[in-house]
Amino acid sequence: MNDLLTIWKALFTYTIAPLEISGKLIAGLFNSFTSALWSLPGWLLRFFWFNFKPLMQVLLLPGLAFILLFAIIVVWFERKFLARAMLKVGPYYCGKRSGWLQLIADFLKLFLKEIIIPYDAHKILFLLMPVMLPTIPALAVILIPFDQNWVLFNAGSLSLPMFIAIAGLAPLIPIFSGWAANNKYTIIGSFRTAYLYISAEIPLVICAAATAIMAGSFNLVEIVEAQANLWFAVPQFIGFVIFFLGLIIESERTPFDIPTAEVELVMGWRTEFSGILFGFTMMAEYVGFLAWSLLFITLYLGGFNGPNVLGLPLYSHVFWLLLKLAVLVPIVIIIRGIFPRLRMDQMLRLGWYYLTPLAVLNLFIVLTLKLLGVFP
Amino acid sequence: MSEPKIEPDLMRVSWGPQHPMSGQTRILLDIDGEIVHRLTADLGFTHRGIEKILENRTFLQGIIPIERMVMVDTANIGLGYVLAIEEALGVEPPERADWIRSMICEFYRINSHLYAFGLQVEATAYFPAVFLWTTIDREIILDLQEQLTGARWSYNFFMPGGVHADIPEGFQDKVLEGVEYLRGRFKQYWGAMVENAIFEMRNEGVAVLRKEDAIRLGATGPVLRGSGVDMDVRKDDPYAAYGDLDFKVVTEAEGDAMARLKVRFHEIEQSLDIIEQVANEIPGGPVRTRIPLFLRIKPTEVLSRVETARGELGIHMFTDGGMNPYRVQINSPSLRNMYVFERLAELDEILLADVPVVINSIDPWYLDSDR
Repeated sequence: MNDLLTIWKALFTYTIAPLEISGKLIAGLFNSFTSALWSLPGWLLRFFWFNFKPLMQVLLLPGLAFILLFAIIVVWFERKFLARAMLKVGPYYCGKRSGWLQLIADFLKLFLKEIIIPYDAHKILFLLMPVMLPTIPALAVILIPFDQNWVLFNAGSLSLPMFIAIAGLAPLIPIFSGWAANNKYTIIGSFRTAYLYISAEIPLVICAAATAIMAGSFNLVEIVEAQANLWFAVPQFIGFVIFFLGLIIESERTPFDIPTAEVELVMGWRTEFSGILFGFTMMAEYVGFLAWSLLFITLYLGGFNGPNVLGLPLYSHVFWLLLKLAVLVPIVIIIRGIFPRLRMDQMLRLGWYYLTPLAVLNLFIVLTLKLLGVFP
Repeated sequence: MSEPKIEPDLMRVSWGPQHPMSGQTRILLDIDGEIVHRLTADLGFTHRGIEKILENRTFLQGIIPIERMVMVDTANIGLGYVLAIEEALGVEPPERADWIRSMICEFYRINSHLYAFGLQVEATAYFPAVFLWTTIDREIILDLQEQLTGARWSYNFFMPGGVHADIPEGFQDKVLEGVEYLRGRFKQYWGAMVENAIFEMRNEGVAVLRKEDAIRLGATGPVLRGSGVDMDVRKDDPYAAYGDLDFKVVTEAEGDAMARLKVRFHEIEQSLDIIEQVANEIPGGPVRTRIPLFLRIKPTEVLSRVETARGELGIHMFTDGGMNPYRVQINSPSLRNMYVFERLAELDEILLADVPVVINSIDPWYLDSDR
């Protein structure tokens, strides 16, 4: 009898029990999986409900959709608008005389072209730099307030220094990519980029600091609120002009596109990029332009301030900011059609001889006005 | 071509044939940062052997290849060859033909100067706006030429003994209209471009060529006149109707890129005056003297000089009694100006960013310097 019992116990523990336990485990996994599946829509709904605003900010405004749409629309606008100054019509055939399909066609063409890596180039840097190039100014855009409560990343009183810091990374990319391409033209373009940014950053930062002093805070939202009665462009007229020049310099547009001077340097530091890498470099110019334009409007032109439209404060603030942007962009574009390009030594002279002393003068004016109590 | 050795601290950049702005040439720049220490021009990319081709063509056939030396200035060069044949033959064209020749030559001088002016402004990156404007204005001239001669830029209109055909009806009025339109445009160009602050910064004081150096190095054309030297073949050794026409030789004293630009500008105005005079006062008469169809010239040696837009062109022709010339030697202005350009790096400090501006202010046409 005892032997039979031992045999039954051994049989049970080594065959049937594992089957039962594993069967229970599998059933348990299956149950939890289906219960998770059934609760996923509820989880998603809760996620989108509670995080609606950040998602909208990241995806739409001022995030992905806004930046991409701005780059596309401004490229189209520049080609059509500037073409009239040159007695041309711009893109005419793709998209029925307005040519808006031309951009999609160009983008597809760039996507499908072969990426040629030069002999002996530094492959990692060469492939990585154009990808980082539009990303860095896009990172700076997230700091701009579109409304008191609509800032993608509200860094509080660190907004303005953070913007300047991120923008300080921007010149490094052309320098690295010019070296990485193993080409004499590109390395000259890199040198020129370094010179250009050296001559332009200091007056810009001094003028930005002057606006922060006048507003009493580095927080971009508070700087905009301090301009509720009077835009900072009026008392800080010198700073306004210097920052406007700096805006064009930092986005490397004509008359300051010295690093990519086609007549001497083929395309400067952009020479060796082909295909989608070139597309990135083109886009980066416009994303940088967007970042600095938004900062310019925030610091000097009252940011999102403006009378209420239809009694909707959030939408009217966004509307006013975009309207100011839409006024600023054609002015900068038409400057490209009016002026030739500066030479490098003339640019250095402009930055150090004229802009820096004027920026310091602007700072003194602001300090004087502040001490006299004109702007509390 | 054996290139000179590179100095130890310099970097040699080839402003080369694969370049958006170099044209059909290669210029080696030895640079140290931004300063150009040495310029070496590597010419010969477009050598077509025109002098040899002319030895294998009859005298009348030879007008066609030689016009293709400079495409924007075909009239002046074709005229040089035709004048050489006429001198060898001993034939004088009638007066009306001379006046028509002057008018066409002045039209092409304007054509060439507009092109050069557009290129120089484009070199300062005011592109392509100005270049397109000047190209559109050239269309006026090309349309007028088409009505007169039947072709837009290479028309073989000159022949030994005169011109092919007479001026059509109503042409004089169209010419005067065109002249008025161009005069208005040049006022705009002056205001928008030459007096543009940044354009002046890029062009004034750049590559100054002093008077002594210009004469010593053998400059010619607007390069020479921009340095203050008063030399122009149209006044010194008049051909066609220039002896009877009233115009001034334009010189500027500074010798920098801006002075050369202003010389070209004012030369266009003088050309417009000449065209107006021709349209109003042209004498009547025949336009051709008969010459034999199968032309044989007894053995002689002639030298003819004309003032093309780029400078003085010399054609030295040897004939030997056959139907072809024995030897035609062409002394092109662009080659001599390129020599001056190479020496400019030693004479004045040129920066890398100045190189396109300087080379377009010298205005060589590489097919002309290579022949």
